[in-house]
Amino acid sequence: MLVGVFDALFLAALSAAGQTSAPRLPRMPDGKPNLTGLWQALGTAYWDIQDHIAQPGPFFQLGAIGAIPPGQGIVEGNEIPYQPWAGQKKKENFVNRLTLDPEIKCYMPGVPRGTYMPFPFQIVESPQNIVIAYEYATANRVINMGKPREASVDTWMGTSNGHWEGDALVVDVTGLNGQSWLDRAGNFASENVHIVERYTLADPDHLNYEATIEDKTVFTRPWKISLPLYRRKEKNAQITEFKCVEFAEELIYGNLRKQTK
Amino acid sequence: MRRKLATVIAGVCLFLAAVPVWAHHAFDAEFDAKKPVKFRGTVTKMEWINPHAWIHIDVKGDDGKVVNWMIEAAAPNALLRRGWTKTSLLAGTEILVEGFQAKNGTNRANGSLITFADGKKLFVGSSGDGAPPNSTEK
Amino acid sequence: MSRRLLVVIAAVLLVSVAVAGQTPAPARQTAPSSRQTTPVPKTATKSWAPPKTAWGDPDLQGTWTSDDSIGVPLQRPATIGERLVATDAEIAQREVNITRQSQADEQEFAAPNARAGTGPPGHWGERARRPSKQTSLIVDPPDGRIPALTAEGQKKQAEAAAARIGAGVGGRPAASWEDFTYYIRCITRGVTGSIFPVIYGNGAQIVQSPGYVTILHEMVHEARIIPLDGRPHAGPNIRTYMGDSRGHWEGNTLVIETTNFLADKTGIGLNGGGTPTSDALRLVERYSRTDANTINYEVTIDDPKTYTRPWKVAFPITQEPGYSLFEYACHEGNYAMVDMLSGARAEEKAAEEAAKQKK
Repeated sequence: MLVGVFDALFLAALSAAGQTSAPRLPRMPDGKPNLTGLWQALGTAYWDIQDHIAQPGPFFQLGAIGAIPPGQGIVEGNEIPYQPWAGQKKKENFVNRLTLDPEIKCYMPGVPRGTYMPFPFQIVESPQNIVIAYEYATANRVINMGKPREASVDTWMGTSNGHWEGDALVVDVTGLNGQSWLDRAGNFASENVHIVERYTLADPDHLNYEATIEDKTVFTRPWKISLPLYRRKEKNAQITEFKCVEFAEELIYGNLRKQTK
Repeated sequence: MRRKLATVIAGVCLFLAAVPVWAHHAFDAEFDAKKPVKFRGTVTKMEWINPHAWIHIDVKGDDGKVVNWMIEAAAPNALLRRGWTKTSLLAGTEILVEGFQAKNGTNRANGSLITFADGKKLFVGSSGDGAPPNSTEK
Repeated sequence: MSRRLLVVIAAVLLVSVAVAGQTPAPARQTAPSSRQTTPVPKTATKSWAPPKTAWGDPDLQGTWTSDDSIGVPLQRPATIGERLVATDAEIAQREVNITRQSQADEQEFAAPNARAGTGPPGHWGERARRPSKQTSLIVDPPDGRIPALTAEGQKKQAEAAAARIGAGVGGRPAASWEDFTYYIRCITRGVTGSIFPVIYGNGAQIVQSPGYVTILHEMVHEARIIPLDGRPHAGPNIRTYMGDSRGHWEGNTLVIETTNFLADKTGIGLNGGGTPTSDALRLVERYSRTDANTINYEVTIDDPKTYTRPWKVAFPITQEPGYSLFEYACHEGNYAMVDMLSGARAEEKAAEEAAKQKK
């Protein structure tokens, strides 16, 4: 019996230690988690948000550099519930992705694609507004933390209204124009899409991201993606600039260049 | 006193320096001053995009055939702050457009003067001539 | 000397002393203006202090616009000389313009003499709400004009001017998108070009967090992230269009130093025009909130490779009821670029065909 008491005390001591070693999150003066920082996704969801194997890329001249890396998907259940016409359109998107993918033209990534691009993004959090500035294409958006506002017109980065649910930042996104994709594989939604994001700090350096995607004109039911975001910890980590319009101009306008004879 | 006032007025008149406040972009590169267009059309949709919104209209020619035109309008930002919303110009609305055709010969024109069928300006809260507000030219 | 002239001299003295950063000399009795005019930029007076954020920084947050300075020339006309402050007559004329514009805007029917043109119609522009009190946006040098260019600056200016000939201005059709400005290409207007007042798109939103200030510029969707923790600038090989910014507080004034610019891109003109600046460009901006709805913005431009001396631009930015930023995506909808280039090719083809027929 003495041994049992000892065990119980030992276990109690262990669990108390576990509680005091829970990570202390950075917080704003009002107690809300402070998400300010430079964040980036790992993995290859930007190629394909579903499970995908290594594949050749479109230009053999680039050899291994131009090939598509493998990766596990971020779609819960790995299935995207397209309506039949939309499933067909996704296949066409994939086949024609060199001409159709808006990322190739340096168009803004939209939501949620901007979150898992192979570029960092900076969050700057104030009580009334939370800015997310994406390094890719210097796209950015402001999450309104005050009284929700309706989208006045459809835009590339949508209209975002946020609120806190405990320590989770919940962002309601509407007013997307349906012209960006979800990845380089041709997954897409329409301008009717409604996205609810959740940003939750697991610890000071890991931000868990989830997005529920609902579009009655494209999918048969809502579906969800989730992935962790990693804080960039380099001593001199900062956002720089990927203004990529100049890299896309020859592609977009090249046929209109004056031909020198 | 009169000489001083004259100096002041002279300064005032020279105020509107040739600063290209309005040189937003090379309009003459896009539209052809030798190709004026004027027609009546029915709005099919409005593209709320930057740098300029575009109004798509169906125009019935003299031969009865319907041709689509795209009319260049102001940046959405300026329109939205003027009280426009995405339902301000609905499909089916008839408008009169005066402008100049694109140099590339396509069915695009700048919407220099746009009114409803009854002659009322489309962009109330707008005028046909915009003198820069902080010039002091009379 | 006439009383009017005394009034003008007194006003100029007050302004020039204040701009130099000293406490104002005892004021002569100036004729009080009964109009609401946008204040001439001067250092923040001690009588009003901005509220603080929850973490104790001066609060500059909000959406601000330079609309009230639309039409104020960057450079002062040489005939005005060293007078920064607009006279009562000039301000009165500006008020007349604003009223006339407002009346014209509200008219239901177009003016009978309204004629279509190829340029931007009036309805494209946003409006000043109050007359500006400045004769130029440049407040230093005292003549309100851009200082002389260095030899290298002159060379860059000549190259830029020659390139612009291709942009439809002056008749030669553009050979490619490279003949157009970075703004027309929907790339950027640079730091100063993103805030200097133009006919529309003058919005700037400031959002603050502990250790950071963010300034979002509507056109062309810039987000300047400015750390306040005193970290050094990025190394000299990290260069961008919008430069690398570091901020700190001097009292209630936000001071931002920006370096690490790419060379030979935008200039310090409206929409990023003007002589392209060099990799030595250093901007020092000061944002001072002088009342609930006004921030005095001031920028010192120091580019020893381009300009023979530093110079300063200043003007107020204001908060207005109902004014918020809208997305300005630009490149994604740049039909104009396609039209301008295909128009140039069509013109060339027509000229070729005309030449053939003459033979």
